[in-house]
Amino acid sequence: MAAVAEIDSLVLEFRSRSGRVRALDGAALSVGDGQRVGLVGESGSGKSTLALALGRLLPPNAEHLEGALRVNGKSVFELDHAALRGLRRHELGYVFQDPIGTLDPTMRIGRQIEAVLAGTGKTASIASLLASVGLNDVRRIVRSFPHEMSGGMAQRVSIAIAIAPKPKLLIADEPTASLDASIRSQILDLLVSLCAAHGMALLLLSHDLRAISRYCERVAVMYGGRVIESGLTADVFGRPLHPYTEALLRAAPGQERIGGRIEPIPGLPPVLAGRIEGCSFAPRCTFAVDECRTRRPERTDHGDRSVVCLRATERADAMAGVPPA
Amino acid sequence: MSILVRYALARFASACLTLFCVALLVFAAIHAMPGSFEDVMVPQGTQAMRDVLAERLGLNKPILEQLGRWLSQVIQGNLGDSLVTQESVAAEYLRRLPATAEIAGLATVFALVVGVPFGIFSGLAGSRRLVSQFSRLGGGLAMSVPDFVVGAVLLYLFTRYSLWFTVGNWVPITENLIGNLRSALLPAFTLSLLGIGLIMATARHATIGVLGQDFITAALARGKSPAVIVRHHVLRNAGIPIITILAIYSGYLLGGTIIVENLFSVPGVGRYLITGVLNRDYPVVQAGVLLAAFFFIVLNMLADILYALLDPRIGRRRG
Repeated sequence: MAAVAEIDSLVLEFRSRSGRVRALDGAALSVGDGQRVGLVGESGSGKSTLALALGRLLPPNAEHLEGALRVNGKSVFELDHAALRGLRRHELGYVFQDPIGTLDPTMRIGRQIEAVLAGTGKTASIASLLASVGLNDVRRIVRSFPHEMSGGMAQRVSIAIAIAPKPKLLIADEPTASLDASIRSQILDLLVSLCAAHGMALLLLSHDLRAISRYCERVAVMYGGRVIESGLTADVFGRPLHPYTEALLRAAPGQERIGGRIEPIPGLPPVLAGRIEGCSFAPRCTFAVDECRTRRPERTDHGDRSVVCLRATERADAMAGVPPA
Repeated sequence: MSILVRYALARFASACLTLFCVALLVFAAIHAMPGSFEDVMVPQGTQAMRDVLAERLGLNKPILEQLGRWLSQVIQGNLGDSLVTQESVAAEYLRRLPATAEIAGLATVFALVVGVPFGIFSGLAGSRRLVSQFSRLGGGLAMSVPDFVVGAVLLYLFTRYSLWFTVGNWVPITENLIGNLRSALLPAFTLSLLGIGLIMATARHATIGVLGQDFITAALARGKSPAVIVRHHVLRNAGIPIITILAIYSGYLLGGTIIVENLFSVPGVGRYLITGVLNRDYPVVQAGVLLAAFFFIVLNMLADILYALLDPRIGRRRG
């Protein structure tokens, strides 16, 4: 299957006055054509950095040190400005967390949508575009300012803007985190059905593991700037090979048995200053052995799944006989 | 009653109250100054001569009676006559207004034309670029050097080496456009320096603030070019703080014109006002300050209207 996005050993650091912070420490991810991939991990694990890197939308103090990042076969970090704008305009669509904040507060919705349609060169009327995201009161919406809309409506508008050019890959960075629980699944349903209808791939960043397992066929788990486990969602969540994935699943609400407890992961995720020797999860890991602190784990494949853990094979063998959790 | 009408009435009432307070303050201030009109006019003469003068102009009446008479005059739209010339104060201010309006207007235009682009460029360029260094240093300098210092330096420079400009020979715009510009540009430039500094710093901060907003990242993510982003998003959103500082700057201009008109001998309202103060010409000073306050209030109302036009969140706020 052709990959719409391919990331390999990506290393990215932010310079600041107090030093350097390594946000991505050799991250690897692949999103196939039309695939829906979930990206999970704690805050600070590098999810958003990875998502922004796909469109080279990082702040100016970010520095790309190593690794390749391709979207539709184009090496994103090697494009000139015009080609980069073309890539952002035609091949990528972004949906962000705060829907009202991503719309200009001083412009009517109609004008903001027109501005996007003008840039794509494709003819889609505002009305049909809004109808495709479930907004039917077109007259009123095009005359509204962002602050006059509800969060859910505004998010539908930003989705309409993102899909207008029919991109190959839609990147949604916690698109429902700021919305009412009652409309979260509506927005995710909409995203998934639009992706299916237009053959777009979806990269969905979320803390909501249940939503990921419901909507995404594949999932990638990030920790310390690396994708530490990735594969089919059913496999990864059903039989987590990486201890962090397992801990993350235990810490998630909604999965515990009645009378059971949510088990928070002890300790805090790391803030890396540079390349780390050893496993970044070792200090919080209940499976860690001495070697974990000194030898950097490399990616190993277990069937359709990739894991970054020295003891992955051991754990895979141990789990082979056990039915999925 | 519609919200707009109620809002307008409230603003009108508060403007009237402000003007009333200004009237009381300026009346008290000018009458509290040592030396009265008759002392200034007849410094060498006898007390009897001064008493005759005071008697004739009604300056010997109780102070509250004088205040009451002046206020009732003003309410009827009469700003009174100058004690010195016995001519209408309002007519004289009106005659002098074009010169002042011209240098103040030119100063505002300079401040905007230089301040806004430099401020926005330096906001876009990030703090280490040359344009940012220049505008921070230049802006700081422009704001911190008093206008009379700049004016004095210019005055020296251009009286010594004419360099096209003229100093102290005001030519009205109705007479000769080129001659008018030759005499108006220097005072206008002197007045504009503070404005350039203020607007540059404000535009720079506003731009940096807008660039950090999510909708800028979203516009970049849609492949918009920097030029389009500046035109569509930055200018409008950075406009509000720029208008605020412009309204404050207009308050400075009311005082700044007095100094600059005196330095460059511009026959404007500022010079008339300062001459009035020196002569203790009460009606002139009182009317001048009242008119200045009136202008300031009108300009701030204009700024409020512009806010609402630029930012829909302001115009529609209820309650």
